[in-house]
Amino acid sequence: MTAVSFQPSVASQQEVVLRADGLSKRFGGLLAVQNVTFTQYSGEILAVIGPNGAGKTTLLNLLSGVYRPTAGRLHLLGRDVTGESMEARCHAGLGRAFQIVRPFPEMTVHENVTVGALFGKAGVSLPEARERAYDLLERTGLAAHAEKAAHELTLLQDKRLEVARALATQPRVLLLDEVMAGLRPAEAQEAVQLVRSVQGSGVSVLFIEHIMPVVRDLADRVVVMDQGQVLAEGTYREVTANPQVVAAYLGTEEGLHA
Amino acid sequence: MELFFQTLLNGLLQSGLYALVASGLALAVGVVGIVNFAHGEFLMIGAFLAWGASAYLGVDPLLSLPLVAVAVFAVGALTYRVSIRHVLLAPELNQMLLTFGLGILLQNLALMLLGGNTRTVTTPYQGSSLSLGDLSVGGPKMIAFGLAVVILAGLYAVLYRTNLGRQMRAVAQNRRGSQLIGIDVDRVYLIAFGVSCGLAAVAGVLVATLLFASPTVGLVFALKAFAIIVMAGLGNLTGVLWASVVLGVSEALVQTYVPGGGGWSDAVFFLLIFATLVFRSFRGAR
Amino acid sequence: MSRAMETSRTVTRRPDFTARALVPLGLFFGLALVFPFLPLGTRAEYLLQIAFFTLVAAILALSWDILARSGQVSLAHAAFYGLGAYGFALLGKVMPWFAAMPLAALIAGLVSLILGAVTLRLSGMYFAIATLAFTEVVRTIIQNLPESVAGGANGLLVPALLGGNARAQYFLAFGVLLFTALVSLAIRRSRLHHAFAAIRQGEETARVLGVSVVRYKLAAFFISSFLAALGGVLFAGKTFFINPLETFSLANSIAPLTTSIFGGLYTTLGPMLGATVLRVAEELLHNSVKNGYLVVYGLVLMLTILWLPRGLMGLLRRGKHGGEL
Repeated sequence: MTAVSFQPSVASQQEVVLRADGLSKRFGGLLAVQNVTFTQYSGEILAVIGPNGAGKTTLLNLLSGVYRPTAGRLHLLGRDVTGESMEARCHAGLGRAFQIVRPFPEMTVHENVTVGALFGKAGVSLPEARERAYDLLERTGLAAHAEKAAHELTLLQDKRLEVARALATQPRVLLLDEVMAGLRPAEAQEAVQLVRSVQGSGVSVLFIEHIMPVVRDLADRVVVMDQGQVLAEGTYREVTANPQVVAAYLGTEEGLHA
Repeated sequence: MELFFQTLLNGLLQSGLYALVASGLALAVGVVGIVNFAHGEFLMIGAFLAWGASAYLGVDPLLSLPLVAVAVFAVGALTYRVSIRHVLLAPELNQMLLTFGLGILLQNLALMLLGGNTRTVTTPYQGSSLSLGDLSVGGPKMIAFGLAVVILAGLYAVLYRTNLGRQMRAVAQNRRGSQLIGIDVDRVYLIAFGVSCGLAAVAGVLVATLLFASPTVGLVFALKAFAIIVMAGLGNLTGVLWASVVLGVSEALVQTYVPGGGGWSDAVFFLLIFATLVFRSFRGAR
Repeated sequence: MSRAMETSRTVTRRPDFTARALVPLGLFFGLALVFPFLPLGTRAEYLLQIAFFTLVAAILALSWDILARSGQVSLAHAAFYGLGAYGFALLGKVMPWFAAMPLAALIAGLVSLILGAVTLRLSGMYFAIATLAFTEVVRTIIQNLPESVAGGANGLLVPALLGGNARAQYFLAFGVLLFTALVSLAIRRSRLHHAFAAIRQGEETARVLGVSVVRYKLAAFFISSFLAALGGVLFAGKTFFINPLETFSLANSIAPLTTSIFGGLYTTLGPMLGATVLRVAEELLHNSVKNGYLVVYGLVLMLTILWLPRGLMGLLRRGKHGGEL
């Protein structure tokens, strides 16, 4: 355990919510994530960027517990969660929204969010969970669709549902996997506002993103990954000025569309 | 020692039949992507056709075999057209349950039409036996094994040497991609499912000469075929062969060496499926 | 912006369910309760017997459905039904029925936890085949135990339930079905319902949202097998005689599955309706043909999958989503 967790959080801005120490993941001969270390502070929006195949999604899967790391530790709110299951991490305060939306197809929108509210934290009763789910639908702009089947939603609405459901688990840290993917620019703008409002409610956000303007608008700090490793870390301005980062992006076909 | 070799031989001979049933099932699973729970019932149809041809027309099962294969191929193709085809995109559960329903339907139709009795086929070579040194083998067993080997060799030649076989393997590996390069996937499915049923029927003919024909004869063979394809890895056509040998030989060993073997060999066999499944699932876990 | 309008709009809170949904269930039980008192004429005894087995079929189907709600489509129902029957046959000799019955069910429930634990990571056809294999293992073990213990392949005499009084047995079956239905409704109204549905519709997503999948899957197994075993007790106590081949037959696993799917999956009333229709159909066919009357299960299963995906309940509640009990 770290000293950080024993310090009274005088300045809540400086409280560490998530800390990765040398996380690595090997698939057979492939080292998908290699010795990744970073720290996220309370209230911060942290972006993880990098060219395709840089290991971003694998990193997210390590954070949320889909994979166990080959090496390294992960601390959530000062607690070592390296060996813990997905559900245990959820209870400890980690939420996740998927890149490819995964609503429960036979449930209504409201029931989808109720599941998050009911199981995300211990001791929430069913009526409380249902009430909280309705509140969240209002906050995320889904109020009019509460009783629709989840498969009737548009993509943007599905993404809102994905976020609402993750928020329902009352996370301290929310992991977002390319929530902007597939959205039109106007929709992406709304999604940006949604993430801002999430931050406003005191939740730290860690997100993976390809669209650089979104990163520029949202991120307090940026972690750049390339070939499984952390290449650079800093503000958006700092990392985009970093010649190594530029080189990594130029090496691919996408380039930095900033 | 002699007992041991006799046991090995018995197991090996038995595995030919198993491989025949299992490779048919593997074709349905691997190519069409359908886990056919009615596979044993197609075997049952083959067994009854052989019995009918022998009892009413006096045709030896070995002669009626090609006709039975073609007839059941047609039944399988028809089954594909009227039912399987409609659930190809449905959830796996629905596919499974549909073939389950088909199995119950066929089995009970047979019960209704033919009754629950077992029907044996009499052949001139029934009581014959062959000696290999100190070991001896029943004639029908040897014939069944020989035929199984020939048919399987034919099947694998078709799969690896002909255009149709290449198409089947292509579809098995990548459905969408096969469509893009101009393979008529629906036609491949139809043929593969028909061949799958035909192989079961051929096995059924052999079962009729070795054991008997009855409405429920297929179930135990289908279960063993499931065990084999699970051991081989779903849709792995070559793995089926060695998995069949493993099953046949281990069954024979249990029958010979475990006290009260006959009764327990079934339990051992089911434990084997169970253990394989569970072991695979835990090893596959991250 | 129109979406900004949506954001400020509030939702009308809807209750999870209304008492009205209970009316059809009440009707079903009302009819079942008065059935023995109807003027059934000379065939009363026969009809009461069919009604008894219909109740047992409903217990099995509904208990199977409870497990299916958690995404576990089992072919091991015959195993737990059979363990109930055998448990009662053995325990009923040394203790009164009202003690032997729950104890036999408890044993089946505990055994189901073993199966549940080893099949946790299996799904789809792997799960189906593993549960099928498990049933065969249980059958072979019971069949090969010394005859003095469980009767071997020949089977076993069972102490008659309630002294063989047909009407009393009927009401006992009625009571067990009522209990099963109440359990099903209680699950529907509790967090179990949400956990089961989430696991069924996306196990990994459920875990990310904090659902303790292991615990809920095992709970589903225990509840389902406990209830199935009660059905097995009723069957054994009614027929006086059980043998491994029939008791653990595949048909006993398939019937509840077909019945639930035909009636309407994941509902309380559906499996009960399905049991009623199918049992009567089976009986009618049985009167005209000796063998193969189970053909109705095959036919109904195929037709339901192809043309009636939500079963009888889907016909009754055409086009409505959610709120089903």
